Amino acid sequence: MNSYSIAYATLFGLGCVLAGPSGAQEVKQDPWSPSREAKIAPVTQAQLDSADKNTANFLLTNGNYAQTRFHPARQINRDTVKNLHVAWIFQTDVKESMETSPIVVDGVMFVTTSFSHVYALDAKTGQQLWHYNHKMAPVTTFCCGPNNRGVQVLGDLVYLATLDSKLVALNAKTGDVVWKTDIADPELGYSETMAPTVVKDKVLIGTNGGEYGIRGFLRAYDAKTGKLVWNFDTIPEKSVGVWATKDATGRDMHRDIAAEKAQLAKSGDPYAKLGGGVWQNPAVDLATNRIYFVVGNPSPDLDGAVRPGDNLYTDSLVALDLDTGKYVCHFQYIAHDVWDLDAVSPAVLVNVRSKDGKSIPGVIHAGKTGHIYVHDRKDCSLIRFSEAMVPQENMWVLPTKEGARMLPGANGGVEWSPIATDPDQGLAYAINLHQPMHYRVENSAYPNGKLWLGGAFTAIADEKQSGNITAVNYDTGKIKWQVKTPEPMIGGILATAGGLVFTGEGNGKFAAYNSSTGKELWSFHAGAGVNAPPSSYMVGGKQYIVVGAGGNTQVNFRRGNNIVAFTLD
Amino acid sequence: MGGKPVWFIACGVVFVALSSANVRSALAETIAEKVEVCAGCHGQGGKPIDAMTPIIWGQQSGYIYIQLRDFKRGDRKSEVMQPIASSFEKQDMLAIAEYFSSKPWPDLGQPRSAKENAERALRAEHSVGCTGCHLDQFQGSGTVPRLAGQSREYLTKTIADFRTRTRGNNPGMSDLMLATPPDDLAALEDYLAGL
Repeated sequence: MNSYSIAYATLFGLGCVLAGPSGAQEVKQDPWSPSREAKIAPVTQAQLDSADKNTANFLLTNGNYAQTRFHPARQINRDTVKNLHVAWIFQTDVKESMETSPIVVDGVMFVTTSFSHVYALDAKTGQQLWHYNHKMAPVTTFCCGPNNRGVQVLGDLVYLATLDSKLVALNAKTGDVVWKTDIADPELGYSETMAPTVVKDKVLIGTNGGEYGIRGFLRAYDAKTGKLVWNFDTIPEKSVGVWATKDATGRDMHRDIAAEKAQLAKSGDPYAKLGGGVWQNPAVDLATNRIYFVVGNPSPDLDGAVRPGDNLYTDSLVALDLDTGKYVCHFQYIAHDVWDLDAVSPAVLVNVRSKDGKSIPGVIHAGKTGHIYVHDRKDCSLIRFSEAMVPQENMWVLPTKEGARMLPGANGGVEWSPIATDPDQGLAYAINLHQPMHYRVENSAYPNGKLWLGGAFTAIADEKQSGNITAVNYDTGKIKWQVKTPEPMIGGILATAGGLVFTGEGNGKFAAYNSSTGKELWSFHAGAGVNAPPSSYMVGGKQYIVVGAGGNTQVNFRRGNNIVAFTLD
Repeated sequence: MGGKPVWFIACGVVFVALSSANVRSALAETIAEKVEVCAGCHGQGGKPIDAMTPIIWGQQSGYIYIQLRDFKRGDRKSEVMQPIASSFEKQDMLAIAEYFSSKPWPDLGQPRSAKENAERALRAEHSVGCTGCHLDQFQGSGTVPRLAGQSREYLTKTIADFRTRTRGNNPGMSDLMLATPPDDLAALEDYLAGL
């Protein structure tokens, strides 16, 4: 068993940054770790469909198919949260960046770690039930850490996508492999860090690789067999688009359209190695049978000279038909992006106010630009964008060889971190980074699956970095409240019916805030960076909040290997 | 991989001779025997004979495989390693990579970086984001190499080769090294060697 005390947790991670290497990232745990069976009933599609109303469980990466990250339990609330304390701490075998969203099914919790490990835990005690240690292929090619953001369960199978680009179905009771499918070739830059979304016997999965000259996709695999059902290339063969000169907010992006057209005539459409990864889960609209997701940056990140055109559908919101994978609509935020300010935080389905004040089905996305974009779900069109949540300066200056300063830095704004929403308040909660950067451009040919940045974005050493937690009214675009944090924020956030939001920081702080005012009501120090999205659930009549504390590779926050669950006395 | 000492050239000649079609059947059966010739340069106990030759014992297997592949393809230039790698099939390369990866990383006994230098190195790391790929404590993973404790001279030469694009099999690294001031890179080399 791998449960430890609060004292252990607070002592954990006190290593000095100047200390030498501690060896591999895998930490040997207690050799006595007997496998037990996870006693759960098969998860039905009906359960998943109504996950937003389920106080006992946390069934999907972002809580429900709409991805609201709003949990309906209210035992932990503004009055009681001061009594929140550690219920248990589980230590995994991997001390490296942790981005998992804990999934909870009938008192059994499933968490993942870097390098694609999966653990089934007793959600009441933190006791390990089983551990799947994926045998990684020697070749893995990944950007931003060997992360894994979690699993999903349907029926009696647990679905996992791995760093070496495989889709794996595990027996939910035992952790044994039921089937395994190759998704794409890691030698060409493909990898998986996202959690699958499973719906109607389809496993939906995207791919990483926008830093390696891949051609991105979103795919559906048969949940029972692992066979490919459909594939949608996030880069169409005609990727040029409409030669847009302004971004979604109307600002000029300083494109040299004449030069791009000359390059197009010379080299043709660059679609084959144009990137367009999908980092995060699609939202599922059960009423219309559509999915909504965002597509990442073009390859190479900073050098637009070799990829003329708008580079569709990079930096875009895209909607598809769930059954067929056929295109429905898209909206591109930044055409021909040369700043890596792409779209990564998962799309969320909520009802929003249209321009004429009617309540309509909407979809919102928090961008690296620092805006929350609000769309009409019918045709993906933009209704409004929020006030900027972070400083914006010198947009959109083009990258230079010497380095051009621009804010936000290339991590955002809002990175992959999922937002949360509170539909009753009409608020979206986002965590942001503020990292002043220089953008530099270099030119090089496609490097056969190697890192292909087309330059570099470097943090400006003598400029202070920070972060914030921001509540935005998505019906007006106005910021309602903002809490500044001493370091950039990356990981995710959870809202609850108890009137709270929970989120963590790279310095180890995990806190609860009044979701209407931003007032801090409770906090805990986890000893390692809390850079993962929290979840909530109930077992034995008690509500729990759970979060990973393992630090972060991308922003280099202190590593750890803790899953920490909290409850009330 | 990458250095050009006389020893290494001799190794290459020997290996190419052994690998020719006529004598292929005479190749040693076990992987340990197959890679014996490598020790001439990379060292019997994993400590390279020459400081310009990298440590490959304990290196990430994916990285070793990709370098062998790139030598064979000509994406990475080396008069020594290209002839050696050209005879390998993919399975050979994977097996060799796994063999060396499973060996213990040798301690070259390089001194720890002075505090001031280490702080400069970490500031540079923070700016460029080296650990985003090389991971915590520069241990590497998959196709990204371990840098901690690598030969200082080899690190210096490799970074210089990235900056001039003489080493051409990772233009992303060239971009990042070109974006980093030389004084910061010198501090990083010193820091990494001492880890």
